[in-house]
Order: sequence, then structure tokens, then C-alpha cells
Amino acid sequence: MQRVEVVRGVYYDSVSLMRVAQELTKIDGVIDATLNMATEANIKIMSAAGFDLSGLDLRPSDLVIAVKANEEIIDGIIAKAKEYLSNPPWKTTEISQQYFPKSLNGALSMLPEANLALISIAGQYAGDEAMECLNKGLHVMLYSDNVSLEKEIELKKIAKERGLLVMGPDCGTAVVKGIGLGFANACPLGPVGMVAAAGTGLQEVHVQLAHRGIGVLHAIGTGGRDVKEAVGGITSLMGIEALLENDDVKVIVMVGKPPAPEVEKKIFQRLVSGNKPAVLGYIGGELEGDRPPIYFCKELEETAAVTAAVVNGTDPDLARKDLNLKYEHLKELASHFGKRKGYLRGLYSGGTLCYEAQLVASKLLGPIYSNAPLDERYKLPDSLKSIGNCMVDYGEDEFTQGRLHPMMDSSFRAKRMIEEAKENEVGVILFDCVLGYGCHESPAEQLASAISQVKREVGDRIIFVGYVCGVEADPQIASSQRKILEDVGVVLADSNAQAARLACLLLQ
Amino acid sequence: MAIKDLLANGPIVVNIGIEQFYHDLKKQDAKVVHVDWRPSALKSDLLSKLRKLREGGAN
Repeated sequence: MQRVEVVRGVYYDSVSLMRVAQELTKIDGVIDATLNMATEANIKIMSAAGFDLSGLDLRPSDLVIAVKANEEIIDGIIAKAKEYLSNPPWKTTEISQQYFPKSLNGALSMLPEANLALISIAGQYAGDEAMECLNKGLHVMLYSDNVSLEKEIELKKIAKERGLLVMGPDCGTAVVKGIGLGFANACPLGPVGMVAAAGTGLQEVHVQLAHRGIGVLHAIGTGGRDVKEAVGGITSLMGIEALLENDDVKVIVMVGKPPAPEVEKKIFQRLVSGNKPAVLGYIGGELEGDRPPIYFCKELEETAAVTAAVVNGTDPDLARKDLNLKYEHLKELASHFGKRKGYLRGLYSGGTLCYEAQLVASKLLGPIYSNAPLDERYKLPDSLKSIGNCMVDYGEDEFTQGRLHPMMDSSFRAKRMIEEAKENEVGVILFDCVLGYGCHESPAEQLASAISQVKREVGDRIIFVGYVCGVEADPQIASSQRKILEDVGVVLADSNAQAARLACLLLQ
Repeated sequence: MAIKDLLANGPIVVNIGIEQFYHDLKKQDAKVVHVDWRPSALKSDLLSKLRKLREGGAN
């Protein structure tokens, strides 16, 4: 049965509410549970999930607790939800007793030297809050999405006039003087400065550089829209300017999908006149031929390999050749594991990783269906139903509204693995496992549990290929996460690009 | 503060939103304060009224 309870005039952030819901669904007898602030979008999501909210007079300042469970326990579950809201079970007593100010002014009275605001509240409020932070002279990292393009442009123009950075909106990752903000890996400090319009693109290059012994000092996120014509690359260009001026940064790396032509031109011209070595990792870009000290790359691992060569003073072309040799070797590896019949299914938490995997796979297998396809002709009509060779980006809005980001919770993706495996035509399942600050404490465990179930049901008919994007110093410890996946028979690759290639080569 | 100073001094952060980010910054020994942020009732009511007006519903 269903029970809905409305608590008037309160506010809880979506992550706290989703964690409470997660805890409730672990209880025996609970079929489904959801907690949401009663915004228009959330009401739609809850209704689509099968909760009947008809006849309720709901306002955005109301909290809705909705539970489907066995009749005998349902009252207890509502009470449990309230208990978890006031005393979250995942928080230690020490954390629960900390005092947090209720306003920006309160925060600034506690930390008057603050220089940056990290904003991750609902998009409908985030733009105004960011403006207030700019008015207080703070740089802004805007993790929130669903901020309008007009607001983004307004914020960035005002920030530029005041010499302040606006990283985002929809900026998941940044690093300032080695400190990771949002989703970020615990990589070493070094002579590289990055500007990235791609969150997991930044993470992958950061991690791949660390694997090559190269550190990053700053990585300025911009949000994906920054390099579109409408925004004009305001943050990207400000970031590049700051990195050109910074004597500790010896090599600049730009990562993202190819910018709009006008923006690309401005970035290139500024880097040429700046005369500092730079690597432009435009994923899937068309620029060919290096113009030292500026180098062009089309994939994330290539961007890291070329950057490492530039930092070390070795030949970038040799780095590319070495990488190609590694990719050739994957053919032998594929023969070793034995080829599979059927389709490739990719299930991703990182948007840029999914995009790069599609670029790699489309060259080897032909068109790839996706909810975020390279070519709109191959857009999935229903993101929950795969077609042919297919890759799904679980970080897209459709999956994150009312749910934790897949990098914070892989359980929804894990369920999809089980569903995909039920199809006889599926031969290879490809996935990422992104580590770092902000991410789930053990994503590999969540995924491994589903993979074990699949193995029990279908044996070796399906092979799993994975990539763990992380380093040893990450809170999850990369080697531990790798071992969890290897123990359930996952074939792990050393980069996202390699995982995608291997997955394709494993298909007959 | 100019961008060059932000990069030179490192981030000193006001975290508004996901509390996990505050704890992760603490783990990195960054200076950070978390705001227990809530939209003001005024803002919520105003948004609600604007939405109703936009939808042509009751005022």
C-alpha cells in the first residue's frame, strides 16, 4: 500500500532526502520510498514513479514523504523517515553536532577570508545565490545544473567585469592549488594547469597524468555551455589568462568537446600569443597537425600522454605511437579472453567518458545508440531500453532528477546491468567506475554485486569490461576498487579509451 | 580577490548545498564553512505565485 505524508514549511537538500529514501528502501517490506521537496518537477517525477499525489495542495516549501510498503510496517516507515531526517544514520555524532550558519552572511562572519563559493543547491535558486556571492566578491563554482543560459551569461559577464571566475553552471569538478572541489581525484601537485568544459574529461586527464607521474596545480572547470557561441568562452578565456600569468604553470591543457568555431579561434589565438606550451584535448575534434608549442589531441588518454611528453621534454609523437602500440596489443588481449557474440552495451556515470567511448566504438562497430548520441539519428526513444550497440549516460538530467548522481550512487546503473544481461543478444557490457572526493564510498561494490548476479544467471555468455577512473590516494583507494571488480571477473582496462576499444574488440 | 590571488592562496570555501562537499574539503585540510541553506519562505511563495500566473491558474 501507499502512504504519503506532507511536512509543511521545511527545506532539505535533495542529496539528504535521497539518502534517507535509500536507507528506507533497504528495510524489508519496503517496495519503494521517495522524499522530495514539492517543486513542480519533483511532483512530476514522483507521479511518474507511481505515487498518487492527486488532491494534495502542495507548495515548494512542503516536504513530501511517500512510501510503498506492507501495511503492517508502513506507519513505522514514515516515522523512520522523520527520524532519519533529524538524525541521519550516516552521520557521526561529531558531525551532527557541528554548527552550520544559515546564510551567506553568517558564513562570511565565520570565515571572512573566504574567496570562493561552491554552490550545489537546486538550479531554480542557484543563479540568484551565485549573484549574491559575486556581490560579496567571491569566485563561484556552480555545481548546480538547470540554471538558464541567460542567467549563466549574466553571471559570467558581471563576474568578468569584477575579475571573478564563475565555474559552471553544471561544473562538477575543479582543482585550485591542488584542492579538489566537487568530484575530484586526489592526484599529485605539478606543473600542469587545466581548463575543462567537461567534468569527467577533466578527471580522466587528471588521473591519466597522475599515472604518468605528472601533477596538476589548477584545473578550472567552466561548465559545458561555456564554449558555446552564446557564452563565448568567457570562463575558459579567463582561466587560460590566469594560467598564462601563473609562473608555476608550465603547460596548459584544455579539455572538452570542440568549442564553437569563434570560441576555438579566440582560445587558440590567446595561446599562440601567450607562448606557453599548451595541449588542446578537444574530444572528437577535427583539428590535425601540432603547431608547437601547441598540440592537438582527440581523446582523453592521448591528451594526458602528449601533455606528459611536453612536460618531460620528450617527443609527443613518440607518446602517441606508444599509445597506439598499447591499443594494438588490446587485440591480443581480446583473443585471450575469447570473443563474444552480440551487442555492446555501455553504462556510464561520466558524460565525457560516455561520449569518448561512443567516438571510439562508432569507428569500430558503426553507429552507437545512446540517450546522448554523437548523431541525433541514433537517439534512444526510451533511455531505459537499449537498441543494438548502445551506450547510456546515467549522468544525463533524465536520470539525475529525483535521484543521486550516478557517481554518488551506482545502484540504478547496477540494476540496468542485470536487465541488459537478460537479453540474449548482449555480448559485452562496458562501464566506468569513477572515484574521488564527492563520489560514492565504494562504487565497485555496488556494481560487483550486480555483476555477480549476472554471472550466476548467464555464466560467461557476457563479458564485463570496466575502467576505474581513480588513483591510490582517492578516498576509495583505486587498487581496492579494482580488486573488487576483478574478483567478480571484470576485465579492467587502464583508461577509458582502452576500455572502449577492448569492449569492441571482444565482439565477433 | 583577483583570480591570480585565488590561485596563489588556494580556495577558502563557502559551501552552499551538498554537505558531502564540505566534508571532502575538510578531509583535504581546506578552510571551509558549510551553509545550512534553505530557500526563504518569501522566495518559495513568490516562485509559486509566479508559476501559477505563468500557467494561467489561480492567483
